This record gives sequence, C-alpha cells and structure tokens, in this order.
Amino acid sequence: MVRYLIACGRVLSSLRLTVVLLGLGMVLIFFGTLDQVHLGIHAAQAKYFRSLFVLWQPAGIGWSIPIFPGGYLIGTLLFLNLVAAHGTRFKPTPKKIGIFTIHAGVVVLLLGELLTGLFAKESMMRMDIGTAQNYSEAPRETELAIIDTSSKDDDLVVAIPESLLAHANVIQHPALPFMLKIVKFMANTALAMRSQVPNAPPSLATTGIGTNVVATEIPRTVKQDERDLTTVFVQINTVEGPLGTWLVSNALGMPQSFSYDGHNYELRMRQKRYYKPFTIKLLDFRHDIYPGTDIPKNFSSRIRLIDSRQKEDRNVLIYMNSPLRYSGYTFYQAGFDNNDKTSILQVVKNPTFILPYIACGLVGAGLLTQFSMHLVGFLRRRRP
Amino acid sequence: MRLIRLSGQALAAALALFCFPGCDNSKIEVYRVEKEQDSQSAQISEAPGGASGGSVTWQAPADWEEQPSSGPRRGTFKIRGQNGGEAELSITAFPGDVGGLLANINRWRGQIQLPPMAEPDLAQVVTLLSGSSGNMLFVDIVSADSSKGGQKSRILGGILPLDAETWFFKLSGPDEIVAARKDEFKKFLETVKAEATPLLATSAEKSGSNTNAPTPPVLATTTAQPDYKAPPGWIAQPLSPMRLASFKITGSNGAEADVSLVSLAGMAGGDLANINRWRDQLKLPPLSEHDLASVSSHVNINGHDFLVTDLVSAEPLPPLNRKVRIVAAAAHKGEQTWFVKMTGDVDLVGTQKNHFLDFLRSLSLAGATGRDESSAQ
Repeated sequence: MVRYLIACGRVLSSLRLTVVLLGLGMVLIFFGTLDQVHLGIHAAQAKYFRSLFVLWQPAGIGWSIPIFPGGYLIGTLLFLNLVAAHGTRFKPTPKKIGIFTIHAGVVVLLLGELLTGLFAKESMMRMDIGTAQNYSEAPRETELAIIDTSSKDDDLVVAIPESLLAHANVIQHPALPFMLKIVKFMANTALAMRSQVPNAPPSLATTGIGTNVVATEIPRTVKQDERDLTTVFVQINTVEGPLGTWLVSNALGMPQSFSYDGHNYELRMRQKRYYKPFTIKLLDFRHDIYPGTDIPKNFSSRIRLIDSRQKEDRNVLIYMNSPLRYSGYTFYQAGFDNNDKTSILQVVKNPTFILPYIACGLVGAGLLTQFSMHLVGFLRRRRP
Repeated sequence: MRLIRLSGQALAAALALFCFPGCDNSKIEVYRVEKEQDSQSAQISEAPGGASGGSVTWQAPADWEEQPSSGPRRGTFKIRGQNGGEAELSITAFPGDVGGLLANINRWRGQIQLPPMAEPDLAQVVTLLSGSSGNMLFVDIVSADSSKGGQKSRILGGILPLDAETWFFKLSGPDEIVAARKDEFKKFLETVKAEATPLLATSAEKSGSNTNAPTPPVLATTTAQPDYKAPPGWIAQPLSPMRLASFKITGSNGAEADVSLVSLAGMAGGDLANINRWRDQLKLPPLSEHDLASVSSHVNINGHDFLVTDLVSAEPLPPLNRKVRIVAAAAHKGEQTWFVKMTGDVDLVGTQKNHFLDFLRSLSLAGATGRDESSAQ
C-alpha cells in the first residue's frame, strides 16, 4: 500500500505530468473557446472550465459521458503537482527563493480562480433616476417568487430557484400552506397573445393571464447580450384541492395574485434577487460626450448610499473605472438605457478578489528576486 | 512519507472546496422584505401628486392624499369632503378585459346596491371621455336610495382598456363628496397617459444598446402586433422571435406552402436587394435595377404601397424536387419594412395567390410597430 502511494506520489510530482497537464489545458482552452460560438461564454465556461470533466450526452441517452478533463480537474492536478514537486524534488535553498516565490504565486493564482468560480457572485442593479433599490438581480438565473402580501408592514417571500423548478415535480416548503406541482418547465420561450395564434393548442394554464398567452419553447439563448425568458406552468394544490394552474414567466410584466386561507399571494417569475442590508438611490446619470461629436466622454451615476445599520448616508459618484466598494460589494458603471434615464450597475461580490493581486505580486517579486540574483552572480563572475 | 502527507492534505483541501455547502444554488430561500414601492411611482412622485403604475401614469390634485398600494391596486387616494367624510379613489389593473364592460359596470352597480343593467342601457352611464389619451370610458352611477349612513353612494369610474390589460380608476364614496369632485375627477382622468408598454417583455429599447446587461430576446409584443384575418385552410403555426404570423398550407396532393409575416427595421436592404434575395432562394440569377419593374408591381392595399412579386424557380429544387414559387409583398411603414411571403410548391402557391392577396387586404399595420432585427427572412 505504502509502495503504491509512493509510486502515485512520484507520478504526481513528475515534470512529465506538468507538461501533460499544460498540454491538456491548452487543448481544453482551444476547444472551449471554439464552442463558445454554440454555447455562449457562460455555458462554455461552465462546461469546459468550471467542471471536473467535459461531459458529452449522446442523443437519446439520459446520462452523460466524461470525455475530457475539465478546468477544475486540470487546475487541481496542476496544484497538487506543484505542491508534490516541492515536497520531493525542490530543496528549499536560499538560491531558489525566487523560484519558490514564483511557484507560490502560481498556487495562489490557481486557488484564486477556483475560489472565484465557487464564491464570486455577479449581479446587476437597474435603476431609473430618482428610484431607490435594495437588491440586485442575477443577469441569467431566474426564480419563482411566491410573495405573501397579507401583512401591512412587509412581504414574506419564498423564492424557488430555476434549477429546482427544472427538475422537481412537486415542491413543498414549510413556509407555504400549499404544494406546488410543476406541470411544465421551459427554460426559454417565445410568448405571444393567444389572439395572435388562433390555432395554438389549449393552454396548460387554467387561471391568470396564462390562459390568454401561448408559450412556445425555443432553444436557450447563447448570445451574451440576451437572457432567457423562462416560463413555468405551476399548479397550486391545497388540502381542499387544486386552486388552478398558472403560467408564470419573467416575460410577464406584472405579478399574478391569488388568495388562500385568508392570505393574499403574488406569483412572480423574476431574475434571481440578492437583497442587501443597504439601499442605493440613483440621483442622476450623466452620459457626457466630447463637444461637437457623438463620442462618449464619460458615463457616471451619482447615487445616494443609505445604510441605517452603519449610520451611513452619503452621495457617491460611480463612473468608468471608479467603482464604489462597500460592504464587500463592488458597484461598477456597466451600462445605461431608456434615453439616459436608466443606469445599470454591475454588482460584484468576490470575497477572494484580493488573491489575483497577491499572486501577481508574488510572481513579480519572485521573478525580480531570481533575475536579480542571476544578475549579481553574473556581474561578480565578470569582475577580474 | 512527507510527500504522501502533503499530497493528502492538498487533496483534502481541494475536495473540501468542491464540496463547500455555500455553492448550493438549488435552495429555496425564505425572507421578509419591505413592501415594494413601484419604481416608476417613486420616480415620478417627485412631482407633487404625480404617480404611475408601470405603463400608465397620472397626475393627481395636491389635496388628494396618496395611500400605500400593493398587488393589483396601483394607486389609492383618500379624498376628504368639505363637511367631513371621505371618498376613495382606487386605481387597479387586471389582465385581459376582466369580463367586459357590462360585467364591470354591473359589478360596480352591485357595490352600491343597484340591480344589473342590460347592454343596450350602457350608454346611459358610460361616455367616451374626450381629451383623454387612449379610449378612456367615463362611468357615473349613483345608488337609488340612501344605502350608507343615510347618504346616497356614487361611483365615478374611468375604464382604460389597453391591449392586454384593463385599468380601472374608481372614485367611490358618499354622493355629496363624489359629485362635488366630478369635474376634478374628469380632469384627473385626462392626465392619465398610457405608455406603449406591453404586458409581455420585449427587446431592450434601442437606446439601451450600451449595456452589458443581458436583455430579453425579441418577442411578439401585444401592442405592436398587426391585425389580420387568416384565409381558410391556412393553419397558424407557433410564432418565433422572428415571425409575427406564420401559417402552413397543405394542398390536396400533400404539397405544402409556408406563409410568414416579418417586420424588419429600416428599408431592410431595399426592394432590389429583397427581390434578389428571394431569387437567390429559388436559384435564379440576380436582377439589375432596370429589370425590377418586370418582376414586381406596386399595389396599394389599405393605404399601404406593397411591392408584390411572383417568382418561380427555373428548375425543380430539393428536397421535394419540384418547382418552387414565391409570392411576396413588402411595404414600408415608418421605420419598419413589412414582409409577407408565401413559399412552396409551384401549383399550390398558384392556387393560393388570391388568398394571399386577401390576407394582405385584411392586414392592418395601423399601430403596429414591428421589431428591430438585423437579419432578413
């Protein structure tokens, strides 16, 4: 057993493995980049780089076959290879302090990417001038929000993520006095009013606006500037029997409501929300151009940051390359809309954002140390 | 042994990272949030008395006291009388026509203990409000006797039917207070403006191109749809993001033809480019500008100048190995070009040409705005 582990360790620390892994990484990047055309950047990232294996699902089969190591596997093996190499082949001598520092930087870089992939969250805040918001929205993930609006003071939200709706047949939760049956889930749809599609098949919806809407499933969008319009037919079942089947979609402009057991509920399919303990109000948005031209000079949002917990109430100017960093979030000026009346902020929460900086610092310091030592040695040798 | 220990620790660390519970995205979340203020309402309410309920905006008099609203209720105002007492204005919106005008009037009549009325009598209580945007209907009903606290009750209503929803503005309360505010209420209804915001999400506005936020794909809209009447035998097909109408025709011999209605931004390349594109689909050589008149003609239908062309392939084309015929019409309206195209078996398209022209005659582009697409059919 011990001999077997030592053999494994020897393979793990070998330079050949490094070369093979780097080669596999290059092939992965090549095919992953090509497949972006078909999948879009986010799906390609998930399939090739943020996975243990690249999976292939043959037509007509319900399961997938791993056909190539994914980014996480190659990255992890590279990480182990480097650590193992230091445990066996590299001897920590003062002469190699630069090499060690460079490798430490590479390890931090690999870990940083892994942690970013696992923990970083990107979302958007889309605000009209004069409006305030205490949540951001995921650009691609959706959720079904069932909102109990009965209380005078606040709303109770039960948010069911798209990933659950896609696979679950029945959803029950202690916060809901009824059970949801997912009649049909469509990841992306084209919706039209029934009056425009006279011969469309009957709707699965028995109540709400869905009875007047025809939902046609279409392939998920791979365009970077588009998002899917997710549509779900959901039946609400109570102890007394079903209340009806609703069509819910993030394409619908308004929530649908129903009452049960003395409570009023709203059903709303929407982009996944991330609530914050503070509020941002958009005071003004500026889209400056160079005089006499249409060339943009500056985009900026003047916002008011209100955080009653921290007694924070101040105005902040967010503009290109000058984000607001607050409470672990970074708010970037990402776009605008609606004839410059709407500003779009990108909200990034990445607890490990500092790691790439540390990694670059370590690699830079290591290179500087190593080259300086070589230079000093060279100069010494040249002295008569 | 040192190596094994190190490798084991690293592997454990890596596995721990992969299995970290924080990366579970399939969890149902439950939380309480403050009641949501309508974002547009917050925007416009900086002007005194102004408010909005998404696609509809209004301007209320200063002495009407705004109350919080939620759900289908888009706005609530309390209006106090001179001698005490108060009336309430509720603003609600519901999908569809909510049962129709008669059902809604009778619902309001029931609220003030009036019997239901018949359709021919509607004109007695409903008038079209002049000066308001859209088709605002004004309703005035008063209870027959003193139904509440020794006073008559009155309901003044505004009903605004939009394409996919109906908005109700209902001022109800003691007759004395409501009647005194009748002119004021009418003026309020005149401030109501319906923006062309459809019930279903549409593509991002043109001005929103400078954003990296993903926007919904282009959809069939409720307000931008043209009206038409499908000829007999034309079977409607599901719409796609590209097609505003789509039909399949099947002949008695099993031959098929496809009809599509598409709208593209701008001139969509111009008449010559479009006809040459269709010719190319039939493997016909392109034409020059001089030859355009020989294969197309201008037909005025419902005030729209349609360029109509009728093309037949020279050779049988795959997959059916039969000659294919295209009858197509294009009309420019505003910033859009509308295309109606029938493609299919040469004989079937020939027999359907009159139906195609009937379809063009039934097509109303008034109010239709089409969609912004970069590709052509």
